Amino acid sequence: MVFTLKYNNVSESREIPQEYYTIKDLIMDLGLSTQTVVSKQNDELVIEDTVINDGDEIKLIQIIYGG
Amino acid sequence: MDCTKCGNPNVIIKKEQSGQYLCKDCFIESIEKKVIKTVRKEKLLDKGDKVLVALSGGKDSVTTLEILNSFRELNIIDICAVTVDEGIDNYRQDGVDIAIRHAERLGIEHRVVSLKDTYGITLDEIMQKPNHRGSCSYCGVFRRTIINKAAREMGATKIATGHNLDDEVQAIMMNYLEGNTDNLTKLGAKTESEAEEFTVKIKPLREIPEHEIGLYVVAKELEVHFAGCPYAQQSFRGEVSDVINKLNEAHPTIKYSTLRGYDKIKNALKDDFKKDYSHGRCVKCGEPAANKLCKACSFIEELKGD
Repeated sequence: MVFTLKYNNVSESREIPQEYYTIKDLIMDLGLSTQTVVSKQNDELVIEDTVINDGDEIKLIQIIYGG
Repeated sequence: MDCTKCGNPNVIIKKEQSGQYLCKDCFIESIEKKVIKTVRKEKLLDKGDKVLVALSGGKDSVTTLEILNSFRELNIIDICAVTVDEGIDNYRQDGVDIAIRHAERLGIEHRVVSLKDTYGITLDEIMQKPNHRGSCSYCGVFRRTIINKAAREMGATKIATGHNLDDEVQAIMMNYLEGNTDNLTKLGAKTESEAEEFTVKIKPLREIPEHEIGLYVVAKELEVHFAGCPYAQQSFRGEVSDVINKLNEAHPTIKYSTLRGYDKIKNALKDDFKKDYSHGRCVKCGEPAANKLCKACSFIEELKGD
């Protein structure tokens, strides 16, 4: 069970580590904050509670930069 | 979960502060309605105003332009824009290009003003100087001066900036924590100066959380410059922002309550702490100045001496 992660011009294939693995779980695993990104699942905007499915393309768009 | 307003199953946001789920169309409508409500509540616009939008090409300024343009379409106001090119290689040009494209798309008067043309030096060159004060000190002062001057030259009656809820709450808390009562009197949706050379500043996005502005531009497919300034540094503002965002996770209404609390005491703060400044003219550039030189010209003199 794999999905494609697109973030900051990088595209990579990742294993879905557990059942009901959400975009929020992914954001946490990447060490990011849900406050700094918006999420797309298969090119559609979704909320972070969305469960990632086999074959999904998940795109995280960074909208807030530090400073 | 379906959209709380229309029942659409494709929701794009769960608003923690209200418990609402919204689909794309209802979310876009909610942001635009809220900004229009702020404009009306705070009396930010008068019929016939010419509003200069400080347009960097980033999400906040593009959103400000996009929503204020609805007032222009109703012939309530006219809009112009200025973009400041600070001279930061491999960063600024993208934002400048995006700002130009938005101005062309809407057919508004637009100027790009560079630090190099105005002061003879870029921010990159300043940062090569051995005794510089840090990029943000120069950037803030030069930008404010350029925008204010452009407003006068373009006949603008208001300057609209993209300050959002997070910016405003950070400023309230920073100034409170630093005991800076003078700066606390200057915050708010509308800032007027006694010096007539300073154009009235308005903040139409003051009640919109920064994250929602980011979601708005992505949902509306507006072209914006998403990138971090290469000179961004860990600042006191950044530390305060981290604390507020941490508190916000368990207390999702805390940004609004901070803003509302400040708005309740603002008049009392002004009555007790507002300082009267002498308004002279800078002997070098003629801009308003409290001292012999305005802040921008004093920076330039200091940099020449390095």
